[in-house]
Amino acid sequence: MISLIGFSSLCLSTLLSFIILIPNSVLQIKINYFLFLFRSSTFLICVSFASLLFAYISSDFSNFNVFQNSHSEKPLIYKITGAWGNHEGSILLWVCMISIYGFCYSIFSKSKDKFKIAVLKIQSALFIIFSLFIIFTSNPFLVNTVIVEEGLGLNPILQDPALAIHPPMLYLGYVGFSLVFSLAIASLLSKNSNQVWIMETRNWSIVSWSFLTAGIALGSYWAYYELGWGGWWFWDPVENISLMPWIAGLALVHSLIMIRGEESIEKWVVFLSILCFSLSILGTFLVRSGILTSVHSFASDASRGLFILLIFFITTGFGFLVFLIKSPSKKNDLNLLLINKTSALIINNVLMMIAVLTILLATIYPIIIEVLTNTRISVGGPYFNSTVLPILLPGFLLMSVAPVLSWRTNKIEKFRIYVIFFLILSIVISLQSYLTSFNTWGFIGLMLGTWIILGSLISIVLKYKFSPTTQYIKSINSFIAHIGVGIMIIGITFSSIYQKEYNFNIKVGEEVKLENHLLKFDNIKIFEEKNYQSLKAIFSLENKDKIITYIEPGKNFYPVPKMITTEAGIYHDWFKDIYITLGNENNNVWVIRVYINPLVSFIWIGVCIMIFSSIIAIIKK
Amino acid sequence: MRKIILITPLILLTVVCLFFLLFILFDKDPNEPPSALLNKNVPFFSSINLYNDKENILSDNLKGKYTLVNFFASWCTPCRAEHYLFFEIQKEIPELFILGFAHKDNPADSKKYLEIEGNPYSFVGIDQDGKIAFEFGVFGLPETFIINREGKIIFKHIGPLTKKIVEDEITTLF
Repeated sequence: MISLIGFSSLCLSTLLSFIILIPNSVLQIKINYFLFLFRSSTFLICVSFASLLFAYISSDFSNFNVFQNSHSEKPLIYKITGAWGNHEGSILLWVCMISIYGFCYSIFSKSKDKFKIAVLKIQSALFIIFSLFIIFTSNPFLVNTVIVEEGLGLNPILQDPALAIHPPMLYLGYVGFSLVFSLAIASLLSKNSNQVWIMETRNWSIVSWSFLTAGIALGSYWAYYELGWGGWWFWDPVENISLMPWIAGLALVHSLIMIRGEESIEKWVVFLSILCFSLSILGTFLVRSGILTSVHSFASDASRGLFILLIFFITTGFGFLVFLIKSPSKKNDLNLLLINKTSALIINNVLMMIAVLTILLATIYPIIIEVLTNTRISVGGPYFNSTVLPILLPGFLLMSVAPVLSWRTNKIEKFRIYVIFFLILSIVISLQSYLTSFNTWGFIGLMLGTWIILGSLISIVLKYKFSPTTQYIKSINSFIAHIGVGIMIIGITFSSIYQKEYNFNIKVGEEVKLENHLLKFDNIKIFEEKNYQSLKAIFSLENKDKIITYIEPGKNFYPVPKMITTEAGIYHDWFKDIYITLGNENNNVWVIRVYINPLVSFIWIGVCIMIFSSIIAIIKK
Repeated sequence: MRKIILITPLILLTVVCLFFLLFILFDKDPNEPPSALLNKNVPFFSSINLYNDKENILSDNLKGKYTLVNFFASWCTPCRAEHYLFFEIQKEIPELFILGFAHKDNPADSKKYLEIEGNPYSFVGIDQDGKIAFEFGVFGLPETFIINREGKIIFKHIGPLTKKIVEDEITTLF
């Protein structure tokens, strides 16, 4: 029953979107009716998604999708998240979000009616493409042909709070770019050169970018403590494809700031808007078609792959075609020889684009090679570390000074203060590196990170008078965001370069020395949880005969899919994480792996600051 | 000139999509690990003997005889499971040179492991940083290779060996 409601509202909503696409010269309706049509379509798709949720919550195993991915023993929260923990449900969520973004746009937009209608029409077209994909290849409302009492369970590795909200966050980011795409195409088609769409694109791209940031951060936080590999970023193909729209989105957000200074950037903004959404679909295509294998690829299917490839080709091709035919022809009045904000931002944009291309090349290179020569290769971490990082370095360097530069002139105010502080900082960092273990990348990362923070702080102090108002926070907002990046760079540098790894074979009751701590293996405990059994090894961490904390790495056994997951035990501290994973056991001797990861918390703090500053950026004055 | 720049994204898109299309149509299975090294020359390596740090083995030393290369470690439980099979292989094919590599393992732990489980290897090399395993394209422990007299890899197995694999696939090579 509930499946029927879900499926029919999905079809109805698609039908309404088709009606929306009919040219207004034929339809002859007022804007209010048009908006009503669009919003009803949104309402229907939400009903559709809600019925899938309901089927999951009530463990309705007559629905084939629920049967395959859920289990009545599962805690409620994971029953709910099970709805998007599979291919069909996640695509339904994706489609639902396309419509919701259009809905929000129809409420908040201040554009002229004609422009608004154009944007919503493009949004509806995107909606139709994806909902047809659901209806024909990945229907979550199929009815189970036999009567069953129990489901097959959800991948236990996904039963985790961080991961429960990671996909919706990431999708809110990816799909948000669909609205940015629609805005760009609408502006091209209607030759709209007023500034309203630029402001709107700016706001919506910041929204999408923040969600994407949060989604990626949650994903890597999950990988950090669930996969038990000791790191938080593995240059996995799936991570890379989420990084591409993220960097392109970053370039877009920065270009939109720049557009207030220079109008000739408009063409570039439109291009970036199209690119961001294209990269989002490319990511979906690569993951869902099963071309890339990772923890993210659910059941893959060639027909689905073909369909998404078609969607990707049509959408992106259409975008670039419109861009080719109708690109805005503003005169180029840029003077790149000046040392001003505009040239700094352009250089940054160029660097970001090169980074995107480098990642894109590495992601599709194995596919091209395999098609051409039938040999399989894989491109891993070393490639990215030695290509992407050096490309981004000059960008980071620029970032610390760019907000200080002026828009039009060549002057830098109070130039000397910056130079003096930079010199002092260089001496301090050099001494620090010289006295501790010197490492080139460590030195560069620390120097960059601290300089970005210090440079931004100096600018805040010099340029703005402190006052506890939102206006003040808004004006120093770009510096806040950059401080966040600086903190993150320091975290990334330390946690990757100064990470230490130890392996021990240890029995209960034994202890090992760990730098200036003592790690004691107290005992092994087994707990019965609702849908799994967990085995926990309890370690106490002592410093000078005082117990600081207990660290409890373990393994969970999920009886339903018969799967064992590793749960890392992590001791968080502001300055370091002690990260323990439990390996195999033999004759009561356990293999444990201990990582000491310095300053990991800085990464998460940096990300939080960046998201905070983007929230500030969209709040109205 | 301006048009060419604007057309570039479209051309790129088409080329990329074409490759994706071909890839899907060929129906490649990314789960199947490649056996790129099969029938290729053994990669160059140099390793120190676990029991005598003055003794060295080079990949060139393997020419002229059949060699079985096995990657193991004291921390690897599946390695223990296959360990006894090497004694049987040794008995069955006495002329086979069995080369073990202690992969990412503390030498003291490896010695202890071989003391308890017995040492079927003709030579135990140290691969503490995992570089040799990397050259061999090892996915995970244990992994076993067989190299012929010309120094070409003729057999590769990922995961622990079983009696059946030894009987069906290894002894039949000789």
